[in-house]
Amino acid sequence: MSRGVVLRGLLGAALLIGGWELCVWAFSLPQWILPPPSGILATTWSARAALLPAAAMTAYEALSGYAIGAALGIALAMILALATPLRALLLPMVVAVNSVPVAAYAPLALLWFGTGALSKIIMVAFIVGFTVFLNALDGLTRVDPAAVSLLRSFGAGRLRVLWVLRLPSALPAIATGLRISTVRAMIVTLVTEMLGSQLGLGWTIFQAVLLIDFLQVWAAILVASIISLVFFGVVSAIERRVVFWR
Amino acid sequence: MKLSISGVGKNFGAVRALDRVDLDIAPGEFVTLIGPSGCGKSTLFNMLAGLLEPDAGGSILLDGKAGALLGRTAFMPQRDLLLPWRNVLDNALLPCEIEGLPRASSRARAEKMAVDFGLRGFEKHYPQQLSGGMRQRVALMRTFMFERDLMLLDEPFGALDALTRSMMQRWLLDIWERYRRTILFITHDIDEAIFLADRVVVMSTRPGRIKLDRPIELPRPRDAHLLTAPEFTAIKRELLDAVEEESLKSFSA
Amino acid sequence: MLRAALPILLLFALWEAAVIGLAIDPFYLPSIRVVAAAMQAQAPFYLDAYLVTLSEAALGFAMGGLVGVGSALLFTRLPVVKDMVLPIFIVSQTVPVIAFGAIVVLWFGNTLMAKAAIAFYLTFFPVTINTLAGIAAVDPRQVALLRSFGARQGAIMRKLLLPSALPRIFTALRLSASLALAGAIVGEWFGATRGVGAMLLAAMFNEQIVSLWASILVAAAVGGTLFAAVALAERAMVFWREEL
Repeated sequence: MSRGVVLRGLLGAALLIGGWELCVWAFSLPQWILPPPSGILATTWSARAALLPAAAMTAYEALSGYAIGAALGIALAMILALATPLRALLLPMVVAVNSVPVAAYAPLALLWFGTGALSKIIMVAFIVGFTVFLNALDGLTRVDPAAVSLLRSFGAGRLRVLWVLRLPSALPAIATGLRISTVRAMIVTLVTEMLGSQLGLGWTIFQAVLLIDFLQVWAAILVASIISLVFFGVVSAIERRVVFWR
Repeated sequence: MKLSISGVGKNFGAVRALDRVDLDIAPGEFVTLIGPSGCGKSTLFNMLAGLLEPDAGGSILLDGKAGALLGRTAFMPQRDLLLPWRNVLDNALLPCEIEGLPRASSRARAEKMAVDFGLRGFEKHYPQQLSGGMRQRVALMRTFMFERDLMLLDEPFGALDALTRSMMQRWLLDIWERYRRTILFITHDIDEAIFLADRVVVMSTRPGRIKLDRPIELPRPRDAHLLTAPEFTAIKRELLDAVEEESLKSFSA
Repeated sequence: MLRAALPILLLFALWEAAVIGLAIDPFYLPSIRVVAAAMQAQAPFYLDAYLVTLSEAALGFAMGGLVGVGSALLFTRLPVVKDMVLPIFIVSQTVPVIAFGAIVVLWFGNTLMAKAAIAFYLTFFPVTINTLAGIAAVDPRQVALLRSFGARQGAIMRKLLLPSALPRIFTALRLSASLALAGAIVGEWFGATRGVGAMLLAAMFNEQIVSLWASILVAAAVGGTLFAAVALAERAMVFWREEL
């Protein structure tokens, strides 16, 4: 990326925030329409005592669910990559279950697992698991058949082909799945928290909406966005390190 | 290692790809195989590599013995198929790893061989950092590291430009004289077929059959001037006639 | 059609077999027959929820798709604006923008427009980004070739850039179809009285597991409708691609 493009991007961001601030003052917009960025920052700072524990809870739920889901998704994909007949049977059903919007499962998770962290972690694991599973399976099965033949001509068996060829070939796809999943994990945590919890940014947002406390809504979204960006950035950085040949 | 193919045929559904192929190759011989596209050359290769079973009635014997062929011949497919996450040395070591050979000794062998293959100083490079000719040399070295007496090379230089290709041909002959393996080499290029081989085998259009088996008695070592020598041209004309006839058949069919 | 229905029927069969075979507590998973009977008994109620949520999601989704492609074409003409806006768009994909749904509902109140607006922006950003990526991936030699034939900007756009970007546009549309629906459902959580989201919420608070499962099935039906629409459009417009 050239310096000019980076500069223009920064300029765009500066214009957006500056213009936003200016509009609010110039038209003296009421808070419920649009609070100024300075006001959002000030609220975030002054409400930090309440936002910090909520943010910690949200991050904890998102990360635990993410780790569990990623591990299960990759493991299941590896099993199905070896068991071809099982795959033909299971895959369409998995896709069907996955096509129901996440939000629809959230009330169920709350009824089954209560309003604590468990229901959020399970929801996140479920969504991340699906995303990683579908990506990993795609990567594991979309391998050059000529490369499989070559390895077989060296005397390699199925497990060896999985380990030496399929898994490394699938790494870019798995990494993509893991990267997309960071945002999904955050979305699902927030959405499930909105429905019912004792603590968390989603809950903060829901409560603030009911109390018509606009600045609090914006502040919670800001904090959630920062967590999400950091999460995404870290996973992308690891991805670039691991999938160096792309 | 002596290879004897007799009466080998292959049907894919209703399509007869290969029709009773008989071919004997002596130990240490360099045989090239040419023929129109889709004549079943690759089918034959896949059977020799043990990736495909011949239809009943045919037999493939290595040193007079039948049995599973998988892992007994060193097979090099058309594309280099180097693994992008392994460096040059680790790519070349892949077959040894799969065989379960001790790592240290294979590594020492590969490091020595890298010199012969013009890869010295590039051992730690990744495939995507190499030129086409170099990648092909790594793939070839991988095939040599899989120490089998019979090597099957499927158009290894097909994707290279003409200059690189002729350099690689001379270099391959050099390597071959040094390591003395039996080589069966598929190509589309008649010049290449004659230049490299002790014998050129021409296959017919589908269903593939051996149409012509022409010994090449040109002296070795061979150099680039051979390509314009009158005896070379005479062989080329003979082979061209045979190949042309087959190409015309497949064109009008 | 049959290929799409088969796994669903299989899933239902598995569901019923599990309920009977493993004697699952109906609090967790009621029999599919009980759920179906409940849906039949209150068919107008569920149909209304289906239509309300579908119209919210579909309206926002269609607008988001059109405006997304349109802005991408506009940005292609104005590279400086593109450089300024694109990073913001990309960042918007890495933060949970769905949370803004709460604010949108505050702006528009509990109207169809509020949910459509959420579905709109959840569709708009990915479609714009993917269209731009698709246009950027076009081989410049192909553009040069068309130029050499004397083609103008508009013709290059219509005959080369837009068709080349179509596969990626549809990738984004497939992704945003489920996002738009999720946006509409979440938007309904903030005090709506009609729609799948409101039904889900009511069923949860009253711990009516049968109607909760029925609502999940309705949500799946809305999602299926959107997916089918996208798939049909894709098959008609991207016919030259092999099976995706």
